[in-house]
Amino acid sequence: MTISLFIEQIINGLIIGSMYALVGSGIALIYGTMRVLNLAHGEFYMLGGYLVFLLVVTCGVPAYLAIPIALLAAFLLGALIQRITIHYLLQREGWAFSTIAVTLGLSIFLQNSALLLFGENVQSVPYYVTGIVEFAGIRIPMQRLLILGVAILTIAVMTYVLKATRLGWAIRATSQDRDAAAVVGIPASRIYLITFGIAAALGAIAAAMMAPIYAITPWSGLPILFKGFVVVILGGLGSFPGAIVGGLLLGVVEAVGVQLTSTEWRDVIAFALMIAVIWVRPWGLFGSKS
Amino acid sequence: MAEAPMLQVENLNVLYGDFQILWDVSMTVGAKEVVAVLGPNGSGKSTVLKAIMGLTPVRSGKIIFEGEDLTKVPTHEMVARGISMVLERRRLFGAMTVRENILLGAYHRSVNKDIASRLEWVESLFPILAERRDQIAGRMSGGEQQMVAIARSLMSRPRLLLMDEPYLGLAPKIVSQIAGIIQRINQEGISVVFNEQNVHLSFGVSHRGYLLESGRMMLTGTGEEMIHSDVIRRVYLGV
Repeated sequence: MTISLFIEQIINGLIIGSMYALVGSGIALIYGTMRVLNLAHGEFYMLGGYLVFLLVVTCGVPAYLAIPIALLAAFLLGALIQRITIHYLLQREGWAFSTIAVTLGLSIFLQNSALLLFGENVQSVPYYVTGIVEFAGIRIPMQRLLILGVAILTIAVMTYVLKATRLGWAIRATSQDRDAAAVVGIPASRIYLITFGIAAALGAIAAAMMAPIYAITPWSGLPILFKGFVVVILGGLGSFPGAIVGGLLLGVVEAVGVQLTSTEWRDVIAFALMIAVIWVRPWGLFGSKS
Repeated sequence: MAEAPMLQVENLNVLYGDFQILWDVSMTVGAKEVVAVLGPNGSGKSTVLKAIMGLTPVRSGKIIFEGEDLTKVPTHEMVARGISMVLERRRLFGAMTVRENILLGAYHRSVNKDIASRLEWVESLFPILAERRDQIAGRMSGGEQQMVAIARSLMSRPRLLLMDEPYLGLAPKIVSQIAGIIQRINQEGISVVFNEQNVHLSFGVSHRGYLLESGRMMLTGTGEEMIHSDVIRRVYLGV
């Protein structure tokens, strides 16, 4: 493998990894704030793909408008789904564990709803941008650079929101201690609702950016859900920065690993990496021991 | 006619599942008063405070604060009513800094103003917290954490402060420091209700006390009256 090909693979890995990071950070936010393992998270990604497909291909909306609309729709959908399902379980003492069954049920429901609405045909969206950037023998398509740019922007916005806004403080406080947050005046159930919406929107952004490259099907959420779980386990359950680093790491290791072996080894590499990390640090890269 | 007390708890009944924790508990707290809730382990002291704050559902009874019934008010609206709480074992936002923890005490919209003067007041009570502002709260000692927890609860400038086991797990030297802080808070015109197992420790700072046993109010009075009461002796010593 030449040096330039190697660098190209690392860049490709970062690009795919940034998408893993967006999906994983949604799972981490939900787990971090409400201690719910969202098994339906892949379906937010899948729905994000169909939303963009509907807007861009069916309605002819330009991509720069379609993506924000899809994002907002995913936020509202996520918040609505949380309000009519998980909300009631979290209100009751001792029912939190049932969210596993509910999110699994939601996943099946959403997959089959998509199958009913859109059929089993594979859909895709045309490239948002065309052309290839060439630099010192490294060739990267513009579409992929756009993905990386959007991911960096999204992560920067999310980091700012969590660090420096009233909402971000409320999310972090609620995730650390729900009762203490309530005592200072933070309504946990509203924070849960908003967090769920944000997480769904993060999945939808990833889907919107990947739609031109990867096919949209009713089942396209499942593989990305598994990757998202690997990411949060790598990064430490519930840690937002952990999910970002975990996502990028997974992307790069996969890309380089696939280059050294072959494509069939992709998932083997992903899970081997996960097992290796939790062997050394069972609480993940950014998680805490307790 | 005497003015109605600031806080009136009337015939409070609280159950966890089928298990009754509090049986017809009644108590009052006056303005600028320090009240201790006493009783052995498991007598329901913490539950009284949690019920007032809305952290635990109330089966029946009334909690009237400044004329308003609080039993249907959610916990996150209490600071707007003028009530704040220091939870048992501090319960800080451990991954956040001291300053962030304290600022969160003024999160609610009704108190989210004049932050600079609130901060100045709180830091005048706890000068050490101004020095430690950028330290991660979870890495401080127990006594320092208790100060952060109290500072956070004061940021909303409450008229009533509930303190759940403020002395729990602290070294004797720190305990007397916290006791001094409770008196200082009271001098600022804030009513304080705290609970504690140790009778002698409690009456150092409180004006009055209530004694709980197995979820029932057994006795009330001033420190002097209660320390010499036979009921206290029976509850604590079993004689």
